[in-house]
Amino acid sequence: MDYLSPISFRSTYPSASSPARHFGPQLPSPDPSLFYSPPASWPPRFSLPSHQTQLHPQHQRILQKQRQEQQSSHKHQSPRVGKLWSQKPDPYAGLMNQREKDWVIKVQMVQLQSENPELDDYYYQEYYQKLERKQADEELFGRRGRLESPKLVTPYIQKTEDYESVVRIEGSLGQVAVSTCFGPRRAIDAVSHGSQEQDSAIYNQKLQVLYRIEKMFLQLLKLEENQKGMLAKSYFYELQRKQLEKIYQELRTGDQDNSEEAANGFLQVLSVRKGKVLVARLLLLLPRDQAVHLVLSITSHLPFLIRRDTADQALHMLFKPMGKCINLLAFSELLQGLQGLMVLQPGSQERPITVVLQNQFGISLLYTLLSHGEQLVSLNCSLTQHSSSDLAAWTDMVVLIAWEISHMSTASLAEPLVVPSNLPSLFCRYVDKQIVQQLEARMDYAPVATDLTYLGKLSCPPTYQSVRAEVEEGKIH
Amino acid sequence: MNYMPGTASLIEDIDKKHLVLLRDGRTLIGYLRSIDQFANLVLHQTVERIHVGKKYGDIPRGIFVVRGENVVLLGEIDLEKESDTPLQQVSIEEILEEQRVEQQTKQEAEKLKVQALKERGLSVPRVDTLDEY
Repeated sequence: MDYLSPISFRSTYPSASSPARHFGPQLPSPDPSLFYSPPASWPPRFSLPSHQTQLHPQHQRILQKQRQEQQSSHKHQSPRVGKLWSQKPDPYAGLMNQREKDWVIKVQMVQLQSENPELDDYYYQEYYQKLERKQADEELFGRRGRLESPKLVTPYIQKTEDYESVVRIEGSLGQVAVSTCFGPRRAIDAVSHGSQEQDSAIYNQKLQVLYRIEKMFLQLLKLEENQKGMLAKSYFYELQRKQLEKIYQELRTGDQDNSEEAANGFLQVLSVRKGKVLVARLLLLLPRDQAVHLVLSITSHLPFLIRRDTADQALHMLFKPMGKCINLLAFSELLQGLQGLMVLQPGSQERPITVVLQNQFGISLLYTLLSHGEQLVSLNCSLTQHSSSDLAAWTDMVVLIAWEISHMSTASLAEPLVVPSNLPSLFCRYVDKQIVQQLEARMDYAPVATDLTYLGKLSCPPTYQSVRAEVEEGKIH
Repeated sequence: MNYMPGTASLIEDIDKKHLVLLRDGRTLIGYLRSIDQFANLVLHQTVERIHVGKKYGDIPRGIFVVRGENVVLLGEIDLEKESDTPLQQVSIEEILEEQRVEQQTKQEAEKLKVQALKERGLSVPRVDTLDEY
């Protein structure tokens, strides 16, 4: 036990002066029996309060009541108290001496050591932080004095032993999980080994996708873990960036070279619910260009994704991170995204936009895109910032979309997650009154005054005040 | 002193009377004398308690060493409340007889059920042919 440095478990009854230990709970007031303030004449052989720090509240209440009864009766008769603890002195007590008890505890403690308690012991850490927060709040409200609850602290020791938890024996059909004294058997991952059978090709493909997602997810978790506890050092950023790049490449290409195949790989990942979660979390970490690339891939394949999502209904997870990314889009990129919706895909009768409008995620995304476009256009005082062809394309797009919305029955239009506030003015500007009325009915916003000032805005450069108003109106958080 | 808050440990249960339920369905009552890191137990003055309906009988067994993985659950017995039970204690012979009778009726009922199912073309897998997990 040389690696366990100064351990000396003292007696079962800690005195008030005993210092904090290396092992065990960190207590500012080391004697938890003080919680229950036993009377001074309390016979020392009753170690009752010390081990009851983590009892179920009901149990604690019952025992406290018992103790109160004991206290009251203790003043009258002592035999009653004696009865609680032993009928008669137990001749076999103490068969397990203190040294042995300490040994068992030590062994149990060793098993609890971890390099990364946040990961290995997540639930206890979370629970303890919640408890501390609650106590801090209570102290803040002055409801009661700070009641420090003990925390389990095990010394940090580098786990030098590492073992191969899953062994693959050549020529065997599967994997064998090995258990040693350092760890139990590990669950075997879904790794595809062995020959690829022709009939189960699709099954294998699905497995491949799932396996890729798992791999990327593990990388992502590590990244997020680093981010959480990260110090602002330059080499950490470099490391992060490299990791991020790795995940991004994995996502984009898998092991394909062709860009078409690559997109396919990405879409396959998105077809699985866990893949959607992965991309949603990854989008928050990626640099702008790569995030934009992914977002545009998604928008150009929206109908496909929507169809694949009917089982999971999980696309809305992507909405928030995509929304954040959309706000960073340049005008040309935005147009690219929107144009993808209008192009008739080979092999389908209807335009993507019809499918998109009927899906909640799709329509929310569309509105967000339009809103951002409107923001970009109105923010730039000089209209020459965007090329005239871009602006023309934008105008066409808006008109087309407005037309599509107005000609879809209200019943089949999906309810969007959010309706940006600058959309009404956007439509009013480009579209005639009749269609505006249809849009109002469908988009469920208050009718906007369709006076000439709005319609006249197209030709005059917007003034500072109106731009500000637009910005505030169209502010999306 | 609980050295490990937030965890469960049997250290505080030493030298106290416990009721232990084993995986094979037996109920043992005894004083917990010693443990180890696998929660193997040493029970002293152990008694195996057989319950049939409202009756129970105790068979004194002496010292038990129980392998930790075979324990379903265990709990401390409150010595004060121990005698406060609606159950009726009977002799060992009687309780064993009661147990035998209970087993018999169960088997017969089971036989009838299997027969009825067989007539309808269904079959229930027998417990001993199922996998353990």
